[in-house]
Amino acid sequence: MRPKILTVDDSKTIRMIVGKALKTFDCEVFEAANGVEGLAVASRERPDLIVLDLTMPIMDGVEMLSKLKSNPELKMIPVIMLTAEAGRENVLKIAKMGVRDYLIKPFKEDVLIERVGRVIDLKPKGEATNKIRRFDDPINILVVDDKPAICEQLKTGLGDTPWIVSGRSQSGEAVDYCSQTLPDLILVSLSLADNAGYTLFQMFRASSKTKNVPIFGMCVKTASDDQVKAQQAGFTGVVTKPIDFDDLKSKIARSLNLDTSYKYFEQKSGVLLLKLPGTFTQNVANEVNIHLRAKVSEAVDSGLDKLILDLSEIRKPDINVIKLGLAAIQLCSELSLKQRIVGSDSVCNECKNFEETKDWKFEGSFDEALASFTGPAMASAA
Amino acid sequence: MPRLHADDRDVIIDDVEKLISTAMKEVFLKALSFDIQQDQSLDTVAEGEPHVAGSVGFVGGISGIVYIYTTCRFARAMTGKMLGLAEAEVEGDEMINDAMGEMANMVVGVMKSKLADQGLQVSLTIPSIVRGNHFTIEQSGSAHRRVLIFKCDEHRLLVEVMAKEQN
Repeated sequence: MRPKILTVDDSKTIRMIVGKALKTFDCEVFEAANGVEGLAVASRERPDLIVLDLTMPIMDGVEMLSKLKSNPELKMIPVIMLTAEAGRENVLKIAKMGVRDYLIKPFKEDVLIERVGRVIDLKPKGEATNKIRRFDDPINILVVDDKPAICEQLKTGLGDTPWIVSGRSQSGEAVDYCSQTLPDLILVSLSLADNAGYTLFQMFRASSKTKNVPIFGMCVKTASDDQVKAQQAGFTGVVTKPIDFDDLKSKIARSLNLDTSYKYFEQKSGVLLLKLPGTFTQNVANEVNIHLRAKVSEAVDSGLDKLILDLSEIRKPDINVIKLGLAAIQLCSELSLKQRIVGSDSVCNECKNFEETKDWKFEGSFDEALASFTGPAMASAA
Repeated sequence: MPRLHADDRDVIIDDVEKLISTAMKEVFLKALSFDIQQDQSLDTVAEGEPHVAGSVGFVGGISGIVYIYTTCRFARAMTGKMLGLAEAEVEGDEMINDAMGEMANMVVGVMKSKLADQGLQVSLTIPSIVRGNHFTIEQSGSAHRRVLIFKCDEHRLLVEVMAKEQN
């Protein structure tokens, strides 16, 4: 449920500033111009937080707060007090009133967000919609590294995706970037001077805006201390240099929960086609395994009862291919799906060497496999 | 800064003037990112243009009032900056009035905090606005008055401070 925030201030300007600061977050903002209106809105909406001005006409913040605290149904609502008066005595007086926090006017937007974020879980708008993104959707990646060559390398290495890579060489520039644009993922060099990479990580985690953005540390393969330190600090993961781009893409896809199933699964001519790529790595195996049950169940749910496992592009099947094939066939059996396997002669011969696959029957092409469903019943796999 | 002595009028107005000068620079920088400079050699704000003044009074150990006035043109620019809007998006006078009132409230609020830290309590009034083409603000007989002039690029801001000790 979206958190509700009530801002009570006689100044429309301040109410607008608060509303604008919260605009990019998934929350509902309600306004009131004085304590009387504030209590009415609080009773009606039961906000998760009240941002309350101290000095107002009709009923000021102190009176509203005392009425709020004496109402059993409203007394638990946290309050952040706003005041233009920062004197020690005033601050102590506010602290004694049972407020969660206070802000001195004028305040910066990011300070307000940071204080609100301490009380309620603020999520950026896009993130809260839980939209499932595909691997081929554009995503924004921020790279923080003082070596421009690394950023260029990342741009080139990820050049076959629609992902946008932006580089910043210093922490301050990265913070400025994030105040303007919320990246989907951040890669931070762990070898920035004075441990700046770790400090930057802490700053991003402390900010309501970036606290949920996956952050990977980057270091050379041999820097094992940095890798351990980054894991302990809570980085989403570590990317080692020289960068293995297939591995990096897989890490990014997992951390952003990107849908990669379209690369392997397709509903075609009334069957579910599971086609494995020629370069079958452990990452590919992981991605297919993640989606296998859901995609097969989805096909059954949509009325399909046939699956074709296409291994024709596999040059030499290894144990990962075999395991995956067995899992697919087992699943078809559980869900009563008919299945066929497509493969080249070399795949066929290789499979004869394994006890589990020696009885697999292969079709020469997708069309042949499709036609075989309508012919006499014939098990492709034992 | 010396502690205020209610029996010394000159010290009171001098200190209030200093506090307001510091508060103006602090608030304009924090709320608007405007680096304003005090320059008493400047002329007052532009003649013949409509003006707007935001004011907030203070009552307590010392009492008085602070007016911050400038041209409506610059007030619009300030409002836009404060709200993150383009000047053209600032609609009507109400928005500008509110922003000018809030700026006065923040400036006098800073002054109040610093007075409180020195043991002198005052309460603030709700902000009010004065608009017009030709108006003057004059002191009553018992009050001290100071005028502070600030520049911000080509714009001028004029602050009138009036104060007297509590009887």
